[in-house]
Amino acid sequence: MKKLVALFLALAMVLSMASFAVAEEEPFEISILLPEFPADYDFVNDFDSNPVLQKIAELSGVKLNIQWGPNSTYTDILNTTLADKNPPMLIAATDARAPLIVNSARAGAFWDITEAVQDAENYPNLAAGNAGVYANTAVDGNVYGVYRSRAYPRGGIYYRSDIAKEVGFDREVETIADLTELAEKLASYSDDTYALNMCSYTAGTISVITVAFGAPNTWGVDENGDIYPAHKSAAYKEGLDWLRHLREIGGIDPNFAQISTSDWDNIERTGKAFMRFDCLDNAHRQQEWFEQNADVTEQIFQTVGTVAKEDGSITVWPQNAGFNGEILISKSSVSEADLPKVLKFLDWCNTAEGVTLINAGLEGLTYDVDEDGLRYIPEEKTEEYSKNSQLYHNNVNQMGMGVAGNIENPKARVNRGYSELRQRYEDLNVLLAPYAVANPCYPFVSETYTAFGAQLDQIISDAAVQYIAGLIDEDGLQAAWEDWAMQGGDQITAEYNEAYHAAQ
Amino acid sequence: MGSKAAERKAMYGSGKKYWQKLGADVKRDRWLYLLLLPGLVYFIIFKYLPMFGIVIAFENYVPFSGVLHSQWVGLKWFKYFFNFPSWITYLTNTLILSLMNIVFYFPAPIILALLLNEMQSLRYKKILQTLLYVPHFISIVIVVSITFVMFGTSGIVYKLTEQLLGHPINYMGSPDTFRWMIIGQTIWKETGWGTIIFLAALTNVDTQLYEAAMVDGAGRLRRLWHITLPAIRSTIVLMLILRMGSVLDTGYDHLILMANALNRKVSQTLDVFVYQQGIQSGQFSYASAIGLMKSVVSVTLVVLSNKIAHAMGEQGLY
Repeated sequence: MKKLVALFLALAMVLSMASFAVAEEEPFEISILLPEFPADYDFVNDFDSNPVLQKIAELSGVKLNIQWGPNSTYTDILNTTLADKNPPMLIAATDARAPLIVNSARAGAFWDITEAVQDAENYPNLAAGNAGVYANTAVDGNVYGVYRSRAYPRGGIYYRSDIAKEVGFDREVETIADLTELAEKLASYSDDTYALNMCSYTAGTISVITVAFGAPNTWGVDENGDIYPAHKSAAYKEGLDWLRHLREIGGIDPNFAQISTSDWDNIERTGKAFMRFDCLDNAHRQQEWFEQNADVTEQIFQTVGTVAKEDGSITVWPQNAGFNGEILISKSSVSEADLPKVLKFLDWCNTAEGVTLINAGLEGLTYDVDEDGLRYIPEEKTEEYSKNSQLYHNNVNQMGMGVAGNIENPKARVNRGYSELRQRYEDLNVLLAPYAVANPCYPFVSETYTAFGAQLDQIISDAAVQYIAGLIDEDGLQAAWEDWAMQGGDQITAEYNEAYHAAQ
Repeated sequence: MGSKAAERKAMYGSGKKYWQKLGADVKRDRWLYLLLLPGLVYFIIFKYLPMFGIVIAFENYVPFSGVLHSQWVGLKWFKYFFNFPSWITYLTNTLILSLMNIVFYFPAPIILALLLNEMQSLRYKKILQTLLYVPHFISIVIVVSITFVMFGTSGIVYKLTEQLLGHPINYMGSPDTFRWMIIGQTIWKETGWGTIIFLAALTNVDTQLYEAAMVDGAGRLRRLWHITLPAIRSTIVLMLILRMGSVLDTGYDHLILMANALNRKVSQTLDVFVYQQGIQSGQFSYASAIGLMKSVVSVTLVVLSNKIAHAMGEQGLY
């Protein structure tokens, strides 16, 4: 018996030594907090059984330890995470300008990486990012995170080109006059249908049209170099009038303010409305839906970036500031000695192999490569790859930054009508980026705005909605704007002006 | 308070003697005290300890710095709120909704309980009671969805009123109808459930009283007025006092679900404001300050209404 015990002990020692030896070779471990979107299968977080995590470790030398926070309660999770003594080393923030993130950054929760993201020698891929976008993420001029880049300017107009042809509009939409003609013709299509698809989320729609008319994006700079709110420009009112007129002639559902955002897509899919001012990429997604569910083979959607004013000048509303959230490095969990290792990893994430792995997963697991060297999912494997993707990879793309642009390799293969619209979308973004109207106050923090902004924004957007719906007239609109100014709007304008002038 | 302290002194004496007596009491009734323990622990851990968190109402709370190390700003958030001109709107919206709730919803379960109590068939009464409890267990999200389907612009009620009146009533998108919709939904959802406490009180009424009244020739209404109502009066008063404590509570989920750009000017209440600031904007200190203010008002109202109840000869809450 004693011998047996001794044997066991010896065996156990050998085993533990063996595992110790393996542990020594183990890669640097980085923990990260990411938002998790619901899926049918739970993500396999065990390193030993997740090939994607293993591949990341193999290529970057970093063993990822992902902590998931359900997207629906992500703000709460961030709050408790930041209060923790040992938060994850990397933290994905979905809103870089949320008071929580701004205040935490000021309190010293994150590493200041302003210099690192300009260091082309050590971190060439991070440095390849857009300096203007980095500036947009900055708090008090310091960059704390690597932004998750998004297509820019992305906002625009799209419509059903087949219906347009039916009502006798068969040319490119180039000017505001063209757009008006198209909208009026689409409005006349039938009594049960509308030209413009609007729902209770109106910010995008109103911004697309008012900025096209020449209004600033949220805040503008006047000829004296002072900041003023967008609704004070004449073009903003012209944009609202355009929508109001369209509603009057039956081109917009008069009850749009009560339509839930989740019905927005369905209104187009059921053929109740034919035009939308929103993210342009929605056009090829809708086209794809029609291809898959309504046996459509032709291209039935057309995209228009923006329309030219009478004098021929062009202005575009950017749907975002070039990014959506950022990846922050916790100061409590990452020592100064380890910081370069963490930055090196973030740099790797932005290489071609990093971007592809994070965005698309692994060849043979979530996609195949065809003879042209393009990424695709074979029809017979759709189910298997979709399951694999959810098990091993899907939500990992939440840490996708892609600051160096779309450098995926292999690139994705796409379908017919869908592919044309998709190509046009990418072309339009490149073409229109120089005409995008940036919000000059984006980098600044106004204390009054942080305290009352949510309520004040609502005054402006509610008034716009009521004006378009015909519930208030010009006086009502004016009254709401004065209300806004009195309740803190003037104060915010003053604070932004101060910050803006100080930065000039 | 003074009289209570005197009472205690008379019972237990003072100082050392008091503690000795208490110790002896605990020893004697140790099993009863053991039963009390879980409840006590619950209240200490979940109700009293978290109260220290109120501190953040006076700080510029940053989660990273924590409760202890965030910057102390005193009454800044309270000043902020009262400098915000539309705080009056938030307060009036809250109060109007709350008063409508007390006037129209509060009596509903009482009336329903009295009606149920008058029922002859016990079997039918039981079935009806069970059915009346069902809406309470339906999520408010579902209730609002049902309302949208029925009262929305393509709903049956909307179409029906359009037919009857010749013009439609925009139930879901008008400031005039908003509060009535909210009260209506509350009555539909909670009245049945609210009867429970009154029905329980009604079972305590001595049936001999009814028999005696019947012998004296009292009809149903007389019996209701002179026996049933007085019997549950203290329960009604108790519930009313408790209700006063939540005069400033309107809840936010129900209102946010029903609110849209067209009715926003009446749907913005203090609870909605706290939700917007605290959860949506992450302004924890600001939201806590307003929450604290609400609690102070609520406690004051409970104490006041309890005093009034005492003055009117009722037992009240304590």
